[in-house]
Amino acid sequence: MEFENRQPQEGINTVRENPLLVFFKLLVGAIIIIVVLVIILQFSGSWIAKKVPFRYELALMEKVDMEFGTTDNSAELEAYLNELGVRVAQALSLPETMSVQVHYDSSEVFNAYATIGGNLLFYKGLLKKMPNENTLAMVMAHEIAHVMHRDPIAGLGGGVASMVALMVLTGQSGTGAAGNVLNQTGMLTSTQFTRKMEEAADKAALAAMVNLYGHTNGANTLFELMENVAGDSAVPNWLERFAATHPLSADRAESVVLQSIENNWPTDGVLTALPENYSLWLRGNL
Amino acid sequence: MIQLGIFISLLIVGFLFGRIAEKRHFKSIVARELASNSLVAVASRFPPENENYEQHLVVGNVVVASDYFKSAMASLINFFGGRVTPFESLLDRARREAILRMKHEASLLDAKFVFNVKLETSRIATGQVGAVEVVAYGTALTKPAMHVEAISS
Repeated sequence: MEFENRQPQEGINTVRENPLLVFFKLLVGAIIIIVVLVIILQFSGSWIAKKVPFRYELALMEKVDMEFGTTDNSAELEAYLNELGVRVAQALSLPETMSVQVHYDSSEVFNAYATIGGNLLFYKGLLKKMPNENTLAMVMAHEIAHVMHRDPIAGLGGGVASMVALMVLTGQSGTGAAGNVLNQTGMLTSTQFTRKMEEAADKAALAAMVNLYGHTNGANTLFELMENVAGDSAVPNWLERFAATHPLSADRAESVVLQSIENNWPTDGVLTALPENYSLWLRGNL
Repeated sequence: MIQLGIFISLLIVGFLFGRIAEKRHFKSIVARELASNSLVAVASRFPPENENYEQHLVVGNVVVASDYFKSAMASLINFFGGRVTPFESLLDRARREAILRMKHEASLLDAKFVFNVKLETSRIATGQVGAVEVVAYGTALTKPAMHVEAISS
């Protein structure tokens, strides 16, 4: 018997293809799938979540028994914030079946947010920068508008649905680099939804300002403050606009002006001062 | 943004260096295969019976790592399914290199044949680092007298 080793023919066990082209096609395909999936899940998840009655949100928060903020030395401040909350809620025509509870946190964070069960949390870092009640009312109205639009539960529903889907899908493609990119794509798609919520909340809040004070003066101050806090960004505006969860502060300020002009709302008016002891209440929590 | 920048940079570096390394390796493999085809290595377990041979175990072993581009592309293919082509060339290189190293050992023994050639593959890396080990082993047959000569020289 004779044996021989012939030179193997190339191209049997390997494929001649342009790897860059194949990679690009795969990446674009995966991104399209993720974007479409997240859009569908965000829509359906938030739609289903919004069907949950508000009283269930309240019952859930009672069961969870979650503590918000810090309670030490803040009784007077919290009482004032809640009283302002009631006024703003009336100006927003918050349905009777819904209610809000304002909490205070003494952390030096420039932020406030609304979460499920109508709970609002205001941080000291934001409160101490408020120059007048109008600006504070704008923040309050924005957060209450989120509650009124059922944004916290919708965000939770849509967010959980898309996060689970992303975890399953990108888990399939490993924890590697491509998985990370696909995850980021999903997150970016989700932010497009939160931005829509923010814009709607801004609109409702501005209308509430007019109901409450008869003008929109002071609303823009909030966005000026936010821009100052954020500082200059190295990222170009168009990219920041696309990637951020909130609209850009400059765009929001512009919307205030445009909305005021469209509705013939006065942009000038007397600003309401904050309570006399406001800064003392804040200092008491140093 | 920074993450995306790092990802793209690593992809480019992985693609360029991986491609250069792969081309060089294939070129070297083909050249060495052509030179070593005279030493026959086959999977058959039945050597010629008309002559006496001494038997020696010969082993060729190689570990080849995947580059960043190949790993990223493989994870995308994993998303859709199908042939994981970036790893096919990696394994082809590893398999052929292992056989060449086995043959090299056999040629040092002045073997006439390598019979019963077998290949084994195992993944030796975990997490994001992908590397594969291929072991080729077989029975090298040497002529007794020639073997003695080879050792004494």
